Amino acid sequence: MRLAALLLAGWALALPAAAQGPLDGAALANERQCGACHGLDGRSTVPDMPSLAGQGAEFLVIQLVLFREGLRNAPAMREPARGLSDPQVQALADFYAALPSGPKEDRGLLDAALAARGAQLSAARNCNACHGADYGGRAHLPRINHQREDYLAHALAQYRDGTRVGMDTQMNGVMHGLGDADIAALAHHLAHAP
Amino acid sequence: MIRRHLLGLAAATLALPGLAWAQGAPPAPAWAQGRPAEMAASPLAPHPPRLTVTPPERIPTNALRVPEGFQVELWAHGLPGARVMVRAPNGTIFVGSRGIGRVYAVRDTGTAREVSTFMQGLEAPSGLAMRDGALYVAAMHRVLRVDNVEANLSNPQPVDLTAAFGQATEPHHGWKHIAFGPDGRLYIPRGVPCNICEFDGERFALIESWNPDGGDRRIEARGVRNSVGFDFHPRTGQLWFSNHGRDWAGNDNPSDSLHVNLRRGEHHGFPWCAAGFQDPAVQGRVCNEFPPPVAVLGPHVAPIGTHFYTGAAFPEQYRNALFIANRGSWNRSRLSGFNVVVVREAEGGRLVMEEFLSGLRDDAAQRFTGRPSGLLTMPDGALLVSDEDNGAIYRITYRR
Repeated sequence: MRLAALLLAGWALALPAAAQGPLDGAALANERQCGACHGLDGRSTVPDMPSLAGQGAEFLVIQLVLFREGLRNAPAMREPARGLSDPQVQALADFYAALPSGPKEDRGLLDAALAARGAQLSAARNCNACHGADYGGRAHLPRINHQREDYLAHALAQYRDGTRVGMDTQMNGVMHGLGDADIAALAHHLAHAP
Repeated sequence: MIRRHLLGLAAATLALPGLAWAQGAPPAPAWAQGRPAEMAASPLAPHPPRLTVTPPERIPTNALRVPEGFQVELWAHGLPGARVMVRAPNGTIFVGSRGIGRVYAVRDTGTAREVSTFMQGLEAPSGLAMRDGALYVAAMHRVLRVDNVEANLSNPQPVDLTAAFGQATEPHHGWKHIAFGPDGRLYIPRGVPCNICEFDGERFALIESWNPDGGDRRIEARGVRNSVGFDFHPRTGQLWFSNHGRDWAGNDNPSDSLHVNLRRGEHHGFPWCAAGFQDPAVQGRVCNEFPPPVAVLGPHVAPIGTHFYTGAAFPEQYRNALFIANRGSWNRSRLSGFNVVVVREAEGGRLVMEEFLSGLRDDAAQRFTGRPSGLLTMPDGALLVSDEDNGAIYRITYRR
């Protein structure tokens, strides 16, 4: 988090407030220094920062608009999303959607018991119904495999605690009543999905 | 603690054999409550919303169909998520939204429409109402008032009335339509915080009315699962409201419905009964205890705009007829809705429902190209229809 904050401070100084950047997604990602947190290849190595590679373009568009409009509470994204035009949002989303995703190489050892508990919780909530049989996502329903375990836990806790709502309230309902240990198990299971 | 207790009660009452969350499991998640085992693997999910500007050449205006003698044109565009519309005294049209959190202002210069973002960063500002030159905005469990609104388009300073309205904070079905009744009171619905569950009937599944600036709450209608559109009959003043049936009970049940509230506090059936459908997930009361809807709108059509046409430009049979914008289905194998229907009086006072605007649903390809949401009669008798998916407003006129 500290690294991200430092990078963001530098970013804010470097870019004029009303910058109108390029319409090429890669150039835009470079200009807004998205890679500093999300990885130059869209695979994050920064704690609590999500990987974006291979994420659905429709999902990414919605999130970028929510950041831009101040509707999703993520302070680190406030400046990077400021002033993005709709075509820029689309270009950034298309850029990250086209990057290949993959299991994180540094995801740590599998705790089989913890992952099994997570799989059980996932089955009880039909996570696959929306996120796909392989958790690869579709359209606006995000990919939740190939993701950092710490970020997954963070996002799930936000839904449970009502600090993130999203476009509708589906995930708040899904997470209702789960404890921190449940969230840890779910995140571990998802992070170790193929 | 109270909420947890109620939800726990709900899980116990609704537990059905074969449901994974039944005995000893955590309370059922809102989306899964009442979902039968055979639908557990269903791939149905809400459609992705479009939050970016749709350029006018990609808006399907040319595909729209209206009855003979009517014309439809693209009136305004560039309003992603456009839903409810209200008209201020000097002609500004305010347009609410849900996911994108904005209230737009549209000014008609005669030859073109100027669209600006009037407010933003609100959580689901889907309810708008006008009174004495002030705009009321209902966002998720918040109520704001902007006085003398047309003189403050560039710098609104809303008065926060949230505390005076004491709305439940549960997010699910917390977005709302609002309108002033002929009694001068502000009508606010409150949907259930779930798909189907036991709930506190004094707080949820209601249409309430309030003093304009809060206080003196009255329950006008009960047993209303989720109404996102209502209006008052131009002659009788009666409250007519549309209601969304619950999900995960099948492709064809229950239907969404249209009701008239004949007396204050009348109970319309939820969770036991919806449009004549006796819900198998809940026991205790039966359909014939409740007044039937005045019209059955169809399964999962999702009625939003529910609006009496008060103009004089349309043919006689449409005067004081009720137009309903169906935003369209998601919890159904084949698409339904994505159109505007009209409910009008035929011979002998019998109500008939006819499709009025179509062309946004492709049955062969099973895709849709727009989602009608809001409706508004203009002073010249034209009818405006907003399209949430395309961020557009269409204008329908009649010429002999």
